Amino acid sequence: MPSGNTEEAGRSDAPPHLLVTGVSKRFGGVEALCDVTFGVRRGEVMALVGDNGAGKSTLMKIIAGALRADTGSFAIDSEPAHIASPHDASDLGIRIVYQDLALCENLDVAANLALGTEPVKRGWGFLPHFLRPLDDLAMEETARDAIDRLQVRTLHSVRARVGNLSGGQRQAIAIARAVGADSTVVLLDEPTAALGIVQTRQVLDVVKRLRDTDHAVVYISHNLRDVFEVSDRITVLRQGRNVAVYETAQITPDVIVAAVTRGLEEAAADAA
Amino acid sequence: MPPEDRPSVAGFLGSVALRFRLLRETRFGSFGPVLLALAVIWLWFGITEPAFLSPRNIYFLFMQSAVVGTLAVGLTVVLLLGEIDLSAAAMAGVCAALLAVLLLGGTPAPLAILAAIALGVTMGLAQGLMVVFFGIPSFVVTLAGLLGFQGLMLKILGIQGAINMRDPAVRALTTFAFPPAWGWGLGIACALAFAAFALHDQMRRRARNLEADSVAALSGRIAFIAILVLAAVGTLNNYRGVPLLVVVLVALTAILGWITTSTPFGRSLFAVGGNAETARRAGMSVRTVRVAAFGIVGLMAAIGGIVGASRYASVSFNAFAGGPLLLEAIGAAVIGGTSLFGGRGSVWNAILGALVIGSLGNGLDLSGASAADKLMFSGAILLLAAAMDAISRQGANFSRGGDAA
Repeated sequence: MPSGNTEEAGRSDAPPHLLVTGVSKRFGGVEALCDVTFGVRRGEVMALVGDNGAGKSTLMKIIAGALRADTGSFAIDSEPAHIASPHDASDLGIRIVYQDLALCENLDVAANLALGTEPVKRGWGFLPHFLRPLDDLAMEETARDAIDRLQVRTLHSVRARVGNLSGGQRQAIAIARAVGADSTVVLLDEPTAALGIVQTRQVLDVVKRLRDTDHAVVYISHNLRDVFEVSDRITVLRQGRNVAVYETAQITPDVIVAAVTRGLEEAAADAA
Repeated sequence: MPPEDRPSVAGFLGSVALRFRLLRETRFGSFGPVLLALAVIWLWFGITEPAFLSPRNIYFLFMQSAVVGTLAVGLTVVLLLGEIDLSAAAMAGVCAALLAVLLLGGTPAPLAILAAIALGVTMGLAQGLMVVFFGIPSFVVTLAGLLGFQGLMLKILGIQGAINMRDPAVRALTTFAFPPAWGWGLGIACALAFAAFALHDQMRRRARNLEADSVAALSGRIAFIAILVLAAVGTLNNYRGVPLLVVVLVALTAILGWITTSTPFGRSLFAVGGNAETARRAGMSVRTVRVAAFGIVGLMAAIGGIVGASRYASVSFNAFAGGPLLLEAIGAAVIGGTSLFGGRGSVWNAILGALVIGSLGNGLDLSGASAADKLMFSGAILLLAAAMDAISRQGANFSRGGDAA
């Protein structure tokens, strides 16, 4: 916490785009998160690291609106925000790429990219929103643009069914789904876990491209090599609590390993 | 397909399965298998029983398939979710019984029809709420519904067990046929509307530089629909004209087809059926969608009940809840290519599936087959359709490493 605060103070010119403060979450008797503070700026990749059970995925799901925090407040560009459902998060421009990709295999690429935020045609205002005609063409255009941005060359048609695609293509679709819409915050949960070397490289390139397009990127990973290659800052969680926030360029993987396994005191001692 | 490590028969089946799957995954191709089945049945009976393809028989074939088709269209909506509704025929029976009792008591026909529809929707929604909020499997909830609604139907019908239906307005639903000129007008309007929509879509795709179908595929599709519609109109006009019932059912199916494929609600039906967790994370209201789907089954069951009451000119237990109606309706949906595992299917295919079942029964009747033969043939056709579904699923799994999702 102390080092986190000094860094925020040292870079007051760039306040976090998304800031969550005082987040706690209990599952029955288990305290998954306790008074956690987490911020990410636009145009940076913030890695979120910690051992299994440190609360990374819980924090991620709370930010994405898939879980509700017991306590805690959210702010977007210093404006208080309210996130109680995936819809709220989506409205605030927050998108998540889940580890299991969360795609509907029976739908085509365009439909998956628009899932939950399908555009409808204009001029049907007399019908309730859920019965207005879908704008298929807008969906396909959005999908094509998103795929083009990510340069997924192996994917030839946005009308291809996701069930027929390869693992790498699906990962690309899942990321494109986060970027394709008007998103500002992208949450990536272990995006390279199931991928080979070449595909991992492509995904890391995609993550860098997200940063270059002024997204606030949150990157969860166990792989410190990937984290040090792609991140600008690193937030360490341990047993549901903040340990510290580091500038990636100023530290070594050993510091992170120490912080993840032993917590703040030793980590701070190592860093000093 | 990995044919090396399996016997050649399985390899052959696998390649057939792959073709099937690729065929089905084109937007229009899902009609293929059921249309083929229909064509084979019509060809067979057309050769062996010359009366089969007569305009009069085709007319009655459409009328006979109407109740099964109506229920199958409704059932398709819950099957898309991977759920099932076993109470559809019993609900139809309850609604028909209510209609008959109300009409007998002097209620005006429009009011009685509205009451029957409202009851059907209520019964469907109630079962949907049970499935969603108590987490009881839909199979169990609707099995209970099947039993309970059968009892309710008997109760409404009273001691005599059957009520005659003489109301002219309700009877007109299945006895009225449009004059030939009207029939042609409707048919041509349908074909032109389909062509206009398809061409409009194609032009906008070209204008926005999106993937478009080839000219051959597009014109083939338009010609196919136009020939199908006009041939049907011509045949029906040769007997008594296009029945009001056919127009009503096609209109209802078109509306439901449009809702299921082209609206946010329909998209969420497919999404929930494909991967409910994904749909939930994407912010779709999975519970509402489930309840609504059961409500739609209730609605279509009520309409099926009204159609049945009109067609049989009476409401009896055996014609609805006690007979083979439910299983024929589920069979029709499955034969149409709707998957019992959710996420794939179409209401139009349910109509075609109903025609397959209707044609089979009608043709076997004409050839003097016994009830025993009819049942066995129907079972065989259903098994064939389910096998096609299972094989095409396997094809999909093989192609991504045998990893069943």
